[in-house]
Order: sequence, then C-alpha cells, then structure tokens
Amino acid sequence: MELIVALGLIAFKVAFLIAMLLLLPLPLTWLERKIAGHMQQRMGPMRVGWHGLLQPVADGIKLLTKEDHIPAEADRFLFKLAPILALAPPFVVFVAIPFGESVSVLGHEITLYVSNMNVALLFVFAVIGIEVYGVIFGGWAANSKYAVLGSLRTCAQMISYEIPMGFAVIGVVMLAQSMSLLEIVRAQAGVWNIVYQPVGFFVFFVAGLAEAQRIPFDLAEAEGDLGAGFHTEYSGIRFAFFMVSEYAIVLLVSVLVVILFFGGWNGALVPLPPLLWFLLKVAFFVYLFIWFRFTFPRYRYDQLMAIGWKVLLPLSIANIIITGVILGAATAP
Amino acid sequence: MFFADFATALTLTFGYMFSRSVTMQYPDKEKWLPYARYRGHHFLKRDEEGEIKCVACELCARICPCDCIEVVPYEDDKGNRRPAKFEIDMARCLFCGLCEDACPADAIALGQQYEFSSFSSRDLVIGRDNLLGKPGKATTGGGVVAARLNTEQDVLVVTSAPHGYNWWRNIRRT
Ligand code: SF4
Ligand code: SF4
Repeated sequence: MELIVALGLIAFKVAFLIAMLLLLPLPLTWLERKIAGHMQQRMGPMRVGWHGLLQPVADGIKLLTKEDHIPAEADRFLFKLAPILALAPPFVVFVAIPFGESVSVLGHEITLYVSNMNVALLFVFAVIGIEVYGVIFGGWAANSKYAVLGSLRTCAQMISYEIPMGFAVIGVVMLAQSMSLLEIVRAQAGVWNIVYQPVGFFVFFVAGLAEAQRIPFDLAEAEGDLGAGFHTEYSGIRFAFFMVSEYAIVLLVSVLVVILFFGGWNGALVPLPPLLWFLLKVAFFVYLFIWFRFTFPRYRYDQLMAIGWKVLLPLSIANIIITGVILGAATAP
Repeated sequence: MFFADFATALTLTFGYMFSRSVTMQYPDKEKWLPYARYRGHHFLKRDEEGEIKCVACELCARICPCDCIEVVPYEDDKGNRRPAKFEIDMARCLFCGLCEDACPADAIALGQQYEFSSFSSRDLVIGRDNLLGKPGKATTGGGVVAARLNTEQDVLVVTSAPHGYNWWRNIRRT
C-alpha cells in the first residue's frame, strides 16, 4: 500500500512536471512577444483574445496543422530524432530540481521534488549536455548549409561554455559541502550564495545565457546570417519541439541560478510562502533573459570564443582557488 | 567603466517598456487623421451656387507631370465653359499637387482621403461627379481617432470623435 501511494505520487509529480513544461512556453512566448513589442514601442500581439493572450494557442494550432516538411536530401532518421533529443533532456533534468521543501496536503507531507539525488548538480550537467546533440543532429541531418553552420557553432559554443559553467558551481558546492540541490538551498538559509560567490554567479549566468542559446550568444540560430540556424529546415510540430526545448532551458537556467546563488525558496524581508518566493525569483530571471534579448546585439563568433576561453574560464578557475583558500583559512584549526 | 554601457542599455530598454507605443491599430480600431496640408485624393470644388468651379481651362492637364488628367470642355446652358469630362487616373498620379497650384479657378485640390486602393487600375480612373463628392482638406489633423472597419463600404474607415491629438508629442523619442 505504502509503495503504491509513493509510486502514484511520483507518477503524479512527473505528469504534472511534464504538463507544466509543455504548457509553459505558451505564456512565455506571449510574454516574450509582449515585452519585445513594448521595448520597441510596439504593442505585440493584440488581436487574438484579450491583448493577444490567446495568440500562443493560435500559433500552436497553426504549428500542429502545418505541413511536416522533410527535405529530400535529409537524413530522415536523424532528422526525426533531433527534435526529440533536443526536447527530452530539459524535461528529464527537472526530475532533479527541487521546488521547495514540502507541503502538507490532506495530512500527507508531499515533497516538492521528484527525487532528492545526492549528485543532483552532476546529473543536471550531465543530462543537459545531451541536449546539444539534438541541435547538432538537427543541423547535420537537414543537409542545408545554414543548418550545418548553425550546429557547428552550437557545437563549439556548448563545449566552450559548459566548462566555465561547471567550474562556476564548484564554489557553491564547496560552500554547501554537498552536490544535492536541496542541501545547497538549505545551506543558504542565512546568507544567499550571491554574497559569497558574485563571480561564480556572473560566470554561471553568462555561460547559462550561452547554453540556452539566447541573445547575446544565440549564434546557432542567428537569423541575421543563418536563416534560422540549425532549425532552418524544420517546420510544424518538429519546430515547435525546438521552441519548447529552448524555453525549457531558459527556465532551467533561471531555476538553477535561483537555487545555486539566490537562496532557492529562502525568502528575504517579506514573509511569503517559500514556493511563491521561488517562483518570483525564477520569474525575475526569465524576465532578465527576455530583457537581455531585446537589449543587446549578438556577439561575433570570435568574440564568443574569446569570452568563453579568455574571460569566463580564468574567472571561474580563480573563483575556485580563492573560495578554496578562504574556506581553508576559515576552517583551519 | 566595465559594464556601465550594459547597464545604460538595460535601463534604456526598460524605460521604453513603459513608454507609449507608436502602433496605430489601423484600420479596425484607430486611424490617422492627416494634416490639412496633406495631399491625398483629389476633389473638385463647387462655388456658392453649387456649380462646379472648374472652367475646363485644361491648365492642370498641361502641367501634370504624369499626364494623368483628361479634361473635355463644353458650354453649359448659362454659356459658361465647364468640363464635360474630367478624369484623373489615380493609378498614375504622383500627388505632386501641381494641378492644385496651377488651377486659376481654385477648382481642384488634393484632399485628406488616403484610402482608395483598388484591385484594378481601371477603377482608379476617377470621373468628374465622383471627384465632386470626395472629401476635402482636413480641418483638424495630426491625430489618432477611434475607427472601425466598415466592410460594407469598401475599405473606408468610419471614424468617431477625435481623441489624442498630441499623439506625436506623447511618444518617447530619445
Ligand atoms: S497631383 Fe500632380 S500628378 Fe497628380 S494629377 Fe495633379 S499634377 Fe498630376
Ligand atoms: S481644374 Fe482648374 S486647372 Fe484644371 S481645368 Fe479646371 S479650372 Fe483648369
């Protein structure tokens, strides 16, 4: 009986997560287009529903009913595999993400995470690394020069930025003495990590921007020079897969930033429910992503590489060393 | 300073987020009312007795750089020279307004109407009686008025009371 309840609970949580992640791009696209519009003194979507609120639904229907086009010269198997490869990892990663401690429903304590892994951080980085294959295969399989160029760039970009990103969180792990995201948040109950790890946050956030392939690092789909980059040849629902994946990663990076550096669900000043605090912080970072997108121009390819290897990597390594030295000095007998 | 420009850029876009948008929801919500000097669709004027002012001197037809006005004169029952046929090919007109300047009788002018697109260039040859009925110069202008699309009446936009006249002044320009 116990087992069935536990399994049912996990199934319910997973289903809820999947539904949430699949549905979240709807308000996010609306928000992104609205913000874009207003920043450019336009209005954004206005016609479908109140202030265009139903526009994403209309777009979704359009994408679902559109012709699913596969180029004649494409590698059909990889072409079909790529969107799934791009979509699945961001979803899988959320299994390891805690959204809070626990809430009690009907006398039961329900934890706000699917699993509390002791190596959650490692798991997140390992799984999210797979996402790049979706982009690479997508670009390669389409057999179009724009798509290949897009995925080549992604390849180099992902490799260059995953290293500083991984290094940036080591400081956090040192402070919390654990790789479990839950423990990391608990360790920040007093002071948020941003106070101790400003450099780590900076490196992580910039690398996160690059990992999510958002402006100013969206070279993989630079619409100015590559058509649409790796998804040039995709249409209909397969294109939607890439879109959903992109939003899921934006969300993931925001969630990670909040968990690692901004105290997770630990509130400050105003006493709000922990989950609300968490969502508010995540919403702020999602907004920051959108805000950046419509403020900054795209970096050139060599600049991108220079930032990754010459700025972020040394910074993150210096951060590790300094954190280690200070921690060692503080805990020395 | 390092990153100071980033901060400036971000504050700028943030400020713009709360500025008025320049979008005009034409044609089913809002519409622009042109200034009085606007050169839109031609119209022919009438005098106090309600007669057409044009004396069919054909000066406008002569001066027109596009050769798009055709005037055929006749003598009406009062013995006045009037146009029997007065046609402007709107498809060729470049809205230079020379015809308006040349007219000795102050009979032709370019009015405020700008919604006369058509599927056929033949429909754009506008005759005398049609020109007499066209809207004249705008008296107020430079503003956005509420409007709604009237599908019964071609694409003409029905406007209601004007509002927001300092529209152009209200938007943010940096
Ligand atoms: S506005 Fe210019 S082009 Fe048009 S009819 Fe008059 S003179 Fe000709
Ligand atoms: S509109 Fe004016 S210029 Fe043209 S024929 Fe008539 S009187 Fe002459």
